[in-house]
Amino acid sequence: MGITVSGISKRFGAFTALGDIDLEARPGEFLALLGPSGSGKTTLLRIIAGLEFPDTGTVAFDGVDVTNQPITDRGVGFVFQQYALFRHMTVADNVAFGLTVRKRSTRPAKAEIARRVEELLDLVQLKDLGKRYPAQLSGGQRQRVALARALAVEPRILLLDEPFGALDAKVRKDLRRWLRELHDRMGLTSIFVTHDQEEALELADRVVVMDHGVIEQVSAPEAIYNDPASAFVFDFVGESNRLPVSVRGGRAHFGGHAFDVATDGTRDGDATLFFRPHDVEIVGAGAAALPAVVSLARPRGGGTRIEARIEGREAPLELDYTGDAPPRPGDRIGVRPLRARLFPAG
Amino acid sequence: MTATGASLGSTAIEGKLRSPARPYGKKRSIMPGFGITFGFTIFYLCLIVLVPLSAVFVRSAGLGPAHFVDVGFSARAMASYRLSFGAAAAAAAVNSVFGLLIAWVLVRYEFPGRRLVSAMVDLPFALPTAVAGIALTAIYAPNGWLGQYLEPLGMKVAYTPLGVVVALVFVGLPFVVRSVEPVLADLGHDVEEAAASLGAGRVDTFTRVILPAIGPALLTGFALAFARGVGEYGSVIFIAGNMPFVSEVSPLLIVTQLEQYDYAGATAIASVMLVASFALLLVINLIQIWSRKRMAA
Repeated sequence: MGITVSGISKRFGAFTALGDIDLEARPGEFLALLGPSGSGKTTLLRIIAGLEFPDTGTVAFDGVDVTNQPITDRGVGFVFQQYALFRHMTVADNVAFGLTVRKRSTRPAKAEIARRVEELLDLVQLKDLGKRYPAQLSGGQRQRVALARALAVEPRILLLDEPFGALDAKVRKDLRRWLRELHDRMGLTSIFVTHDQEEALELADRVVVMDHGVIEQVSAPEAIYNDPASAFVFDFVGESNRLPVSVRGGRAHFGGHAFDVATDGTRDGDATLFFRPHDVEIVGAGAAALPAVVSLARPRGGGTRIEARIEGREAPLELDYTGDAPPRPGDRIGVRPLRARLFPAG
Repeated sequence: MTATGASLGSTAIEGKLRSPARPYGKKRSIMPGFGITFGFTIFYLCLIVLVPLSAVFVRSAGLGPAHFVDVGFSARAMASYRLSFGAAAAAAAVNSVFGLLIAWVLVRYEFPGRRLVSAMVDLPFALPTAVAGIALTAIYAPNGWLGQYLEPLGMKVAYTPLGVVVALVFVGLPFVVRSVEPVLADLGHDVEEAAASLGAGRVDTFTRVILPAIGPALLTGFALAFARGVGEYGSVIFIAGNMPFVSEVSPLLIVTQLEQYDYAGATAIASVMLVASFALLLVINLIQIWSRKRMAA
């Protein structure tokens, strides 16, 4: 089922949570809403779910306008950040809830409900825990109960708010892979909110990067990392170094040093230069490069992570060196950014 | 070596498995001072609760069994028990409904004067009960503010058992509101949203999700309001009219006995009330333990 969000805006008092959002999720797609806290990602998810209503704009499922439909009628599965399990009910009763509250005419028979619950618990690998109470389960198990409960009503759309936020790293990783498989197997259209870029890049078909209530970029994970659309995305996703430079005549100038970068038609004037730690060439001091002094060098992955100080900048640069003889602290080096990107300042 | 109550729980098998360095029966706990605090608790409860209450039984025992039954279970006493316990239960039930409503409004909504309303809830605690009784009588008397309109409708409040219920509703209200409030505040909004996302309407959400979650707290409020109502004297005697067999509550009957210097008779009635109250509160407590256990195992 496709989701179309057009022209959505939402204010809370003087605070603009969302400003004019357009977004489309194709049927069967797994979408991640990625952004720092306060970026509006959760508000957008709640508006799609029908837990919140927009000030302007529309939400449509498969072309049908559902903007004014409350969540009760939208038929979406929603997994809450803290799971929101019913503490006084057993796991099985939690999962069955969506079926047992149906009107008598559409409610399945008791045996049928029991069979469905059994099936769902099997699906989330909690087969023998149906009689337990939520308080008796671990975090990862509760998360899966929440998922089974949401899936019981057979939604075509699954919405998840920080689904892995409260879990430890190992459980997180397993659940991620498992959730992706589940999504594919059931043919769902899913959107999940996260502030964890690794999670978004690993799990989603496309990542929606948000900041201050607007969408900065919607792309496949590789493009988000390799071809960021804005300074914010470059900074927020992956490691990066930023340098305030001024652009003149196709070259970037920093503190009396000039180096060649692809200016991509950036107008002359102040700009910010971004480059990844591994997208640099480290050369000897004196060459046509940015002079720096190594302050720290430690092994990392296959190479060496170097922190180097340059004049006129408080924070050290983070650089990766993959050669045999890594520079040592105190060494003077030249830094030549290879695949740097310029974004106009301000 | 201190043999504390905690060591009673350890079995012989546990003892054998324990390393020899630690002597049998001494359980190490991160929470020190169990012995002394438990001991003091028992001592204090004896001093404040048990000793005075046992005096009631000792005193009434002086009557002899036959006489005790005569006084404690006389027709007039039985009628007063029925009124005291019945009216207290009715008032506690009324308070459970409307106290829950008030707690709901206080917790869920922000409105100007919320703190003022919250403070008003506590007024029945602070007010001398006699003041409450006089005020209620003035309002509900046949020529009172409300009474004059109720009278033509055939509703008599003052000087009837209904008046007793009204007075007990008044004094019992804060118990329910204050018991339910924190639990309701603790119950996340997301649980309701989860119910809605699964297709549950407001009624289903309330009866199947909210009510069971706050049930134990509501029961606590009911029990407290009920207990308060059973023993209530000051506010009731003004509005009740105190007709024997009709609107005479047990505490008043006890005072009446005392005024006639029939101390043994008074303690006989008191003993019956005490045993009945204790039994009822015990049952309510057991229900609570049972329902709490299911939630936080």
